[in-house]
Amino acid sequence: MTSIPPDYASLNAAVGDETAVSPEAETIRRSVSAAMESMQQSIALFGPKTSAVSEILAVAAEHGEADWNGEGADPVSMPAVDQARAFIFALPFGFPMPGVAPEPDGSISLDWIYSRSCMFSISVGASDRLALAWLDGTDQGHAVARFDGERIPPLILERIREAMGNAAVRAA
Amino acid sequence: MLPSGLPEVVGDAESLARFLRSSSYFNATNVKPVAFLPNPKEAMTTSVFRHEAEPRDRLLQIGREQIGSTANVHGAAICKAAVVREARLDVIPDEPPLLHANIVGWPVNAADERLQKAAQIERALVLVSKCTLVRFESKAP
Repeated sequence: MTSIPPDYASLNAAVGDETAVSPEAETIRRSVSAAMESMQQSIALFGPKTSAVSEILAVAAEHGEADWNGEGADPVSMPAVDQARAFIFALPFGFPMPGVAPEPDGSISLDWIYSRSCMFSISVGASDRLALAWLDGTDQGHAVARFDGERIPPLILERIREAMGNAAVRAA
Repeated sequence: MLPSGLPEVVGDAESLARFLRSSSYFNATNVKPVAFLPNPKEAMTTSVFRHEAEPRDRLLQIGREQIGSTANVHGAAICKAAVVREARLDVIPDEPPLLHANIVGWPVNAADERLQKAAQIERALVLVSKCTLVRFESKAP
């Protein structure tokens, strides 16, 4: 369940105060009510994306030192964080969010894992070229796709749909 | 025979343990492909140990001894050497430390680092599709 920030809890109490009867108070009540409704819709809409971005930031913070894996790994790079964050916000609504993990070279791995035999993985680095690979039963492959920061290439969207099952994407 | 007493060729039936150095390397049930990606600073190899899931205490001990204090060991991905070879990779002994081996043969593409990474992820997906996740309850001291 999505929690509502404390400020909105107090606003909610204010909106529910039926003792305000002046025209000005009524106007304010309606404005606040509309703003609340809009905010609640935003939370509902962006909730999964907000969580995914939070996970990206948490992974970057946790793996921000060199050699975090004892094998000489590079820290997660900020350009990779920015690219990964842009990618998440560019995902169409209704798409499932990926798991997030750090890579030894400072890139960020975004993974959609439906089962052991149905997975799709993207490596997001500092450049606009995303490295991707998939496994779907006996079908497997890899490619590189360019992400301009706003539009996700159709190949990637199709692979996410296939990895997670079309029904699951529609239901998400 | 190697110092560990193991043969110099890793048999297909042998189990290999890849220690998981980040809690982000697995979810509730699956290991993620990034856990197996090769280390570009170690000649593009992936470090593993010739050990199966049990006895669990010994597996954890090896992980803690080898990873040391620079990183926590959160678990291990266990797969057979045959799976590594199915993925068109190979595993060769590399002692010391005892029981250590390297997964080698990762695709290299000097002209296109991103395409190289994509090809490596594809191989790693094959590995994780047939490996078992072992979680360690506690962290290294």
